[in-house]
Amino acid sequence: MIPMMPRFFTSFLPALPALLLFASCGESDVTPGLIERSLSDSEKSFKLAESSTERFRYQTTPAAGSAGSAAGTGENEGGPRLIYDTPAGWVEKPGSTMRDINFTIGENAEAECYVARLPGAGGGLLANVNRWRSQMGAEALTEEQVAALPTKPLFGQQASFVAVDGSYTPGMGTTDTFENYRLLGLILSSDAGAVFVKMTGPKDLLSKNEAAFDQFTQSIDVNLN
Amino acid sequence: MAKAPIDWSPSNWPQLLYRFFTSFRLATVIFVLMTVVTLLGTLGQVDNGLHAAKVKYFHSFFFTEKVFGIPLLLPGGLLLMIFLFINMTLGALVKVRKRWKGAGLLISHFGMLMLLAGGFITWAFSTDGYMALYPGMSTNRVESYREWQLEVMPLSKEGVAEKAWIYPAEYLDTMRSDEQRVIKAESLPFDVVINGYSKNATPIPVSAPMAVGVTGKELEGFKLSPQKPSKEAEQNLPGCFVEFRPRDGGAPIEAILWAGSYRFDPREKPMPFTFTVNDELYGAMLVKKSWTVPFTLRLDEFIFERHPGVMTARNYESRVTRFEDSEPDKPLEIKMNEPMRHAGYTFFQESFGPSGSQPGDEMFSQFAVANNPADQWPLWALVINGIGLGIHFVIMLVNFTVRSRNKKLSPAALS
Repeated sequence: MIPMMPRFFTSFLPALPALLLFASCGESDVTPGLIERSLSDSEKSFKLAESSTERFRYQTTPAAGSAGSAAGTGENEGGPRLIYDTPAGWVEKPGSTMRDINFTIGENAEAECYVARLPGAGGGLLANVNRWRSQMGAEALTEEQVAALPTKPLFGQQASFVAVDGSYTPGMGTTDTFENYRLLGLILSSDAGAVFVKMTGPKDLLSKNEAAFDQFTQSIDVNLN
Repeated sequence: MAKAPIDWSPSNWPQLLYRFFTSFRLATVIFVLMTVVTLLGTLGQVDNGLHAAKVKYFHSFFFTEKVFGIPLLLPGGLLLMIFLFINMTLGALVKVRKRWKGAGLLISHFGMLMLLAGGFITWAFSTDGYMALYPGMSTNRVESYREWQLEVMPLSKEGVAEKAWIYPAEYLDTMRSDEQRVIKAESLPFDVVINGYSKNATPIPVSAPMAVGVTGKELEGFKLSPQKPSKEAEQNLPGCFVEFRPRDGGAPIEAILWAGSYRFDPREKPMPFTFTVNDELYGAMLVKKSWTVPFTLRLDEFIFERHPGVMTARNYESRVTRFEDSEPDKPLEIKMNEPMRHAGYTFFQESFGPSGSQPGDEMFSQFAVANNPADQWPLWALVINGIGLGIHFVIMLVNFTVRSRNKKLSPAALS
């Protein structure tokens, strides 16, 4: 058992490694060793996680659209479940590790729309807005410009709305560029978590689906039942 | 008349120091600076949160603050209060002329010194943490709200460990993100290397869009994304990279450790990173610092009432049994505003969980556990202060009355 050390002493503990560094020239990053302690009964049991995905509490369940969901209303399984209305003409696809909800749009699935959630701020609003803009070949915005972006409702809060036209380079291992594309997105970012809704596709197709995007994003809710 | 020149010779230094520390000017400067620090500390809470502001402004010897973009080095609350303590001890208790007329002020200054000493003892020796229990569970272990330590433990195939090797929170908390430390444990067949430590971080799958912007190593499909520390220090979840280097020359094993793998519910089992060295299974993880109290507490019943029709709590209280070697088992109740005080520890009914629980769900009770040797000092210091000021008021009143009467009876007043 490690005895409780008064803060008076522990405040000076950080200085010890520095002193040791001076004392042991050459092994500049070696610090005092690990301290052994017995575990009490309430501490002895551990769960042997099968993967880092489990250890880091990421859900890997597929998103909505699987068999059994009611027509026009999707519902994913596992974790906090989401309910939403599927706009006409949108086709649901299985989710992935990072996509809770996944759609393709257009006769040949030319466009896509997905919802992703992350714990924490997910990198922050400014970085994500400018990451999206860079994918469209647009210039980065300043913090003030990002703060002045229009907002739209998402989960009962006001999410920053991003709309960019340009040449779309998705990245993620591909160097392909798609001309005359549009990106519509919502970002809700807070310390408690971040939610992203992103729709990309040919400009004409997205113009026709802008109202459907609003209808979809306003319908997303957490299923508490 | 010209002032005599100051004698700066070393033999006169004690005298000069005494004059410096007993000067009224020093007290004035300290009070002005304390006002400034209090103002900055109060404003700093908005951006940094309560805990970080306390540490920066009030628990420090010095701190830097940007004023109109210019960084200024200012004395911290700790240094100012130490100077004030010395100044008041020497100036108001030692140097001051002892007269009956000044007895009240002497006593009230003693009260103020006790208040400062109590603050120091609280800062230096107090601990605070929490204990969470479901009905039927018992423990004597208290966990820290904010401090995390690294633990490495040999595991059985069933995930059971009897002991662990820890890298204490006091060391881990001082790590910079660009720093690397090699930690040795003679009893273990490997050395542990920590680097890339972040006080608040999120592991992000490399398939995620935002992983593109995260620099640093990719391990098992994840990158570690440092986050801005939360204003509520309790919400920070640190993360780091670790490497286990077998001493027999085997290949090193690398992993990301993240505090989110620890338990957030008393029934949950923590999920360590597991690895094998010399055919032995080991686990490693970031764990909340913990300590024991000299008795065991069992939660017998948790009473939780909600306001009708809403999820807001109306009342919650815990019925517990305290087990101690030297005393018979004692059933007790811990309620809001009715803490249990025992063996120097105070158990407050703090909160409940799990979050989002519905009516009918089994819930756990959480106690805030404080141990402060100077717990009651502020109360007694203010009582002493009040008595001193009361005596001073009475002395002044009597003096004034006597002087007024003498003035009326004096020949000049009668003529």
